[in-house]
Amino acid sequence: MTTAAIDVEDLRKVYRTKNGESLRALDGVSFQVPQGRIYGLLGPNGAGKSTLVKILSTITPLTSGRAAVLGFDVARQPLATRQQLAVVLQQTATESLLTVRDNLLIYAYLHGVTSQIAHQRLPAVVEEFELGEQLRDTVQELSLGTKRRIQVAKIFMMDAPVIILDEATTGMDPLMKRRVMDRLRAEARNGRTILLTTQVLSEAEELCESIMILDRGRSMASGSLPELRKLSTNMFRVNLLFADTNGDLVSRLEALNPVQLQVNENSVEMVFHGEEASLLGKLADISRDMPILQFEVRGPTLEEIFIKLMKEAR
Amino acid sequence: MTGIGAVFYRDYRQRMTNIGFVFWDLFVPLAYLMLFGIGFERMMGGSVAVGGQAFGYTAFLLPGVLGMVTFSVAMNTSWGFFMDKDSGIFYELLTYPITRTQLLIGKISFNVLLAVIGSVLAVVLGVVAMDAPIHVRLLPLTAAIVIAATAGWFFLFSVFAIKLARMDAFNTVTSAAYILLMFLSSMFYPLKDLPIWFRVPAYLNPMTWQVDLLRFSLLGVGSTTTLLLEGAATVLFAVVCLALAVRALNRAA
Repeated sequence: MTTAAIDVEDLRKVYRTKNGESLRALDGVSFQVPQGRIYGLLGPNGAGKSTLVKILSTITPLTSGRAAVLGFDVARQPLATRQQLAVVLQQTATESLLTVRDNLLIYAYLHGVTSQIAHQRLPAVVEEFELGEQLRDTVQELSLGTKRRIQVAKIFMMDAPVIILDEATTGMDPLMKRRVMDRLRAEARNGRTILLTTQVLSEAEELCESIMILDRGRSMASGSLPELRKLSTNMFRVNLLFADTNGDLVSRLEALNPVQLQVNENSVEMVFHGEEASLLGKLADISRDMPILQFEVRGPTLEEIFIKLMKEAR
Repeated sequence: MTGIGAVFYRDYRQRMTNIGFVFWDLFVPLAYLMLFGIGFERMMGGSVAVGGQAFGYTAFLLPGVLGMVTFSVAMNTSWGFFMDKDSGIFYELLTYPITRTQLLIGKISFNVLLAVIGSVLAVVLGVVAMDAPIHVRLLPLTAAIVIAATAGWFFLFSVFAIKLARMDAFNTVTSAAYILLMFLSSMFYPLKDLPIWFRVPAYLNPMTWQVDLLRFSLLGVGSTTTLLLEGAATVLFAVVCLALAVRALNRAA
């Protein structure tokens, strides 16, 4: 049997606050990530995503349960665990007094890469992350977006089999985000395992093969995107194009109690929760007075599933 | 590159970005020796008796200046943890495949070299400009004491630098330590004639142990039993502080 790249079982983390109260950051979270897969952790602020990342990367001790990276127990074998990891934490982390070049090389050295190999890898990483012009600049002079780019670029200076990214693309421009996502997909195809946390749900939807939605330290749902969609049965996204729209139409659409309604000139986008047949009947009634030129019904996006789960939880 | 080697290189690159800071580390103790030493020697007009021997005040002060070098270098190195926190790299460092001990030893390794260079400069100045009667054959022992002392102080200050969130709080700690540990020791004056309330804490002060050891290695004075005890205590101090600093790193998040 192949060892899971990441194996988390009934993980709990309790913080003691300054006034002596207990704060449950993680409450019985379990999941497994097979090798070579991209796994997403989603959740609102304070859901426990970053705590989970800190436990897996051995910065924070767990309270109970078990977590292992490629079979190495994070609590009992922290060094061996870290030897499997490349981690991009949520906060920007660069050597601000050093040049971009030194940042990349020193990161490689600190991960056991020889000077020769680090120098061989440097040009490709610099080119891919468009850091050539800033290579000799001191990092503290650079923009936040560039610092974030350096932080992500660093992990490609070495070959750790598991990559953990905590909201890594925050602050990056869309083109660079796209490039990072393509690179992550390529790394996964080459066998590296990727765990990422994000609040950009479209990013997770596009990138992750499996997803866990966390809220207040608990797993709300997990599985592949089709599996998560099943959690939102009777939820539909409907796109309509009318020949014309007016106030009466909007009132009639609002009367259908959509979860979400957006009218943009003649096009209407709605999210419904209910029986599909009944909804179609009501739309047919409307179309008799206001002709519908285009009609499209599809399943919910990850964002809609996420919002539904969060609403149910609160 | 080994873990310690990589951290050594990192610290070397960082320190070299601010040569002025390095110069200050080395210059301040020399200034003490030149200004404080000469001023007091002239004021006292005589010699200081230690272990049955008499020395000019600058010769007496020279081992203390080496103690000051270890203290200053250690303090400034531990301050680097705040730079790491500021730039966000502190927590990322804890995810690297090196042990906490390697991280701490790597960080102090380059700075220990600075302390040794600072000590060499102070000794050369003491011998050439102030005729300090140095025991040349014991210079390797002097270097070993400087290394152990710098490491010990660094590990101690690191505990505070890691635990404290605010730089101003850390500065308060180091300022208080500077006054108490340096002046409440045998660095500037022999302890034997001082009141008991002064002597007791001074003998418990690691700075006193280190200065006494340096006074032996440089000037050849001191009782063997006391020096052996102080040597063991200096090593123990460094080991205990290393353990505390590792613990602080393990609980940093």
